[in-house]
Amino acid sequence: MESQIELIYEDIKGKHNVKLVQFVGDLDATNVETVSEKICNLLNEGYVNIIADFKKLRYVNSTGLGTLLHFSKTAKEKNGSFKIANINENVYEIIEIIGATSLLEIYDELEEAIKALD
Amino acid sequence: MEVNIIQIPDKPHAIIFQFSGEMDSDKIGMINDTFSQINSNINYVIVNVKSVQMISSSVIGELMGYRKQMIEKGGDLVIAGIDFSIRTKLNLIGLTKIFRIFSDPRSALNAYRWEIERHAEKIHVSFPSHLKIVPPVRQLISRIAKQKGYGNRDSFRLETIVDEICNNAVEHGMSGSELSIKLNMEIDPEKVELDVTNTSDPEKMASLKALLKPKNNNDIKLDERRGRGLALIKMLTDELSVDCSGTGTSVHIKKVREE
Repeated sequence: MESQIELIYEDIKGKHNVKLVQFVGDLDATNVETVSEKICNLLNEGYVNIIADFKKLRYVNSTGLGTLLHFSKTAKEKNGSFKIANINENVYEIIEIIGATSLLEIYDELEEAIKALD
Repeated sequence: MEVNIIQIPDKPHAIIFQFSGEMDSDKIGMINDTFSQINSNINYVIVNVKSVQMISSSVIGELMGYRKQMIEKGGDLVIAGIDFSIRTKLNLIGLTKIFRIFSDPRSALNAYRWEIERHAEKIHVSFPSHLKIVPPVRQLISRIAKQKGYGNRDSFRLETIVDEICNNAVEHGMSGSELSIKLNMEIDPEKVELDVTNTSDPEKMASLKALLKPKNNNDIKLDERRGRGLALIKMLTDELSVDCSGTGTSVHIKKVREE
């Protein structure tokens, strides 16, 4: 019984190497491998800029956070980026406590994250 | 109208008045007599109205006066024995704003234990040593905290603490359906204490020692995917201790309520 998480993908008009990914649910030790595989597949398919919409991401733990840092590193290695938007207060606090806010690209709004691609 | 006074053996400061019949204005003298009988150290009165057919507004006014007296003594006067269907009607006339209403005396006594005696509640959870069991356990603990009046932030932090401790317990201990992880929780209005114990796996002792080795939060590296759980627990709790001396590793934490 894994924690429920769903990834919903969207394209962004005019941006050929960008994928918008909505995270819906909880990101934890039970589903981190599945999520990692899906995001890494996107990066390997040429979507080197990922915008993660965390509006519906309720929960993340330290293992999930480690994976987010891995996405960021992998995207940078491919001359892309892993940007996070719409993060909720509780999830942000966990990232902040770990001291990883400076290691991730975090935006308040989705539009800001998209604009930062230009 | 009749009244039965019920003393509660282990609760010298609480009492139950079980009324029956009609509590109309000409019974106020009898109600006053009942209250005059109670010991001065009583500060929590449960008025059980399960067998009461009607309560007049003058009786409500009288009970409000006694409630004020109980509050001055650090307690309360509460109403019990009111079904949910009637409660919505009482809500309409504003009675639920004046008195705390409970469905039965037992619920009213639980509130007394929690709010007046500040009594801790104990919860014991035992579950198989599998990662997939951890999410429902962490959500259960979070829900209990919320039910006990803890705020969203505290409950979320507790969920994180339980998740991280239990994941470590599974990862660094023996795993399998027959081997359980024991979680004991003690919650009171000011704090939560948790004890989580697994069954030690001799082959994983080296990884456990590496986990417990003090780390500086500034040591965080972008390419490290694991190993932040304990640091997170430390930062979210007020006390943390780990005991590896027995057949299992025990983690004890204390988290003071913040909101």
